[in-house]
Amino acid sequence: MEIWYDWRLSRVVDAEGNVLDQVNWSASSSVNALVDRLSELQSGRLSPEARVLANRFPEAVSNPLGAISDDSWPELSKEESEMLSEASIALAKKGVAASASDPDRRLDMLSSSSIELRASWTTQEARSVEWTGLFLPDLDLDDRRADIPLYVSKSRDIEHLATELGVSIPDHPPSESEWSAMNSQAKGVVSLSERLLLNEQATKELANSYVPSLSSLIGPLGAARMVVLAGGRERLARMPSGSLQVLGASGAMAAHRRGAPPPKHSPVLFSMPLVSRSPRWVRGKIARFLAGKCSIAVRIDHFGGQTWDDEEIKKIHREAESIRDRFPKPPKRG
Amino acid sequence: MPRKPVSLGWGVKKEGKSIWTRNANKGVSVRGERRKRSGKIEWRRWDPYKSKVAAALLTTNGDPSQILPEPGSVCLYLGASSGTTVSHIHDHVCGAENHHNGQLMAVEISPRMMRDLQSLAGQRKGLIPVLTDARDVNGYATIMRSKAQWIHQDLSIADQAQNFISIAEKTLSKGGTGLLSLKAASERSIEGGDESRFARAESLLRQSSLDFIERIDIGQYQEQHVVFHVKCL
Repeated sequence: MEIWYDWRLSRVVDAEGNVLDQVNWSASSSVNALVDRLSELQSGRLSPEARVLANRFPEAVSNPLGAISDDSWPELSKEESEMLSEASIALAKKGVAASASDPDRRLDMLSSSSIELRASWTTQEARSVEWTGLFLPDLDLDDRRADIPLYVSKSRDIEHLATELGVSIPDHPPSESEWSAMNSQAKGVVSLSERLLLNEQATKELANSYVPSLSSLIGPLGAARMVVLAGGRERLARMPSGSLQVLGASGAMAAHRRGAPPPKHSPVLFSMPLVSRSPRWVRGKIARFLAGKCSIAVRIDHFGGQTWDDEEIKKIHREAESIRDRFPKPPKRG
Repeated sequence: MPRKPVSLGWGVKKEGKSIWTRNANKGVSVRGERRKRSGKIEWRRWDPYKSKVAAALLTTNGDPSQILPEPGSVCLYLGASSGTTVSHIHDHVCGAENHHNGQLMAVEISPRMMRDLQSLAGQRKGLIPVLTDARDVNGYATIMRSKAQWIHQDLSIADQAQNFISIAEKTLSKGGTGLLSLKAASERSIEGGDESRFARAESLLRQSSLDFIERIDIGQYQEQHVVFHVKCL
């Protein structure tokens, strides 16, 4: 005995195909009510009518494929067809809107945007500094680096800039239009710095609350990047730690499949001083150790464990340092 | 010199190397494709470089009309994306204002793609957008009018053939047509590259309860892809 159902009605059918009982959706059917109904059916729940029949016939098994497999199942009327069309579109709209509540998608936007902003900030800031240095040969580009874009953006002309920065007025000044270009480029760098700051702040905030343990272990920006690269927190949590170790090193992994040595670490892990500042022969060992800890951390975060406190994080960092101390000399070749 | 058009069904025709569908939404192109009028009918060009079904129609060794669904049938399109191919299938299966009374279920998991798909559905009656994982049959089986007479699966997932078989066994009606667009890049890496992945999928389909008709190599239109044509016995 089985319960067959679609969104309109439900039937109890015995092994010979005889209909033992039937419940129809009441006359008060409206598009809005159908949207809720379709949403329930889509998530695998029984329709209300099927639930009624399940109570009446506790021994009957529900079969979601029953209705479509049955040739004698009532046909859809024109009105019902129209209603289904309308409701399915409304439900799809709802689903699209609901995707904004998904922290994975929000983190993707924030983290990806931070990375893009940082990449363009790096090139544009370097250009501003070099450009200024060309016209002001006396300027110390290392000590004053952080000031340069702001000063250029705020100065009226190159003489003004030279005075503000306390260097001699150049013999070969830029033309008026050249200066305007330089000045507006520097303004761009300044606004880019602000945008980058806001972006990274928001990314850190979300990462700290969404993956707290992972964030305190490798930093919120790195944690955000990892989640995005994995395609979501759940997928990251289900990955083996070996995958975490090389997450994002796709080029190196592709080369590895063609015979190159395997990558020691992903760019995310390499950005940690614990990895990048260690001698190269221990980087792989530390990265492997950290990847293991990362995978535990993200599992804690995803499956609702006790978030790691500072004590725990310090212990892990000490352990990583002890790996480094155990291998002070490069391995012998051969 | 105009080439003689060959009809592939009610709403699809082939002229030389190009395919056209009878536009169900007159005056509107879905993805900027060419439109042309002949009498009262407006035809919309179906680009084989964008649609695997169109590519299969052009490259099959068999009768291309066997690949298409019948107007008025129930069709299941898994991995509908933004609806380019879906719109052409809709032209043929539903027609303007769905006068054929077809039902075209367009299943897509990505909300970004569903955005485009649901606005398309608003203009095309009979097109039912479903935002769910295509592997979860229960997510759409209770919404379908009956079993599907035509299924096309175009998903970027691993184990495309196994998924297709299990979905088709549950939702394809007797005598129904199944198309599986297999993307080699989505399958797991195995020895022998793309060719062995296609061969593996083919042998799985041949071992299944489905009747294997043809393996259509659409490589000239879409790299690393083949379309498998099967029938439900």
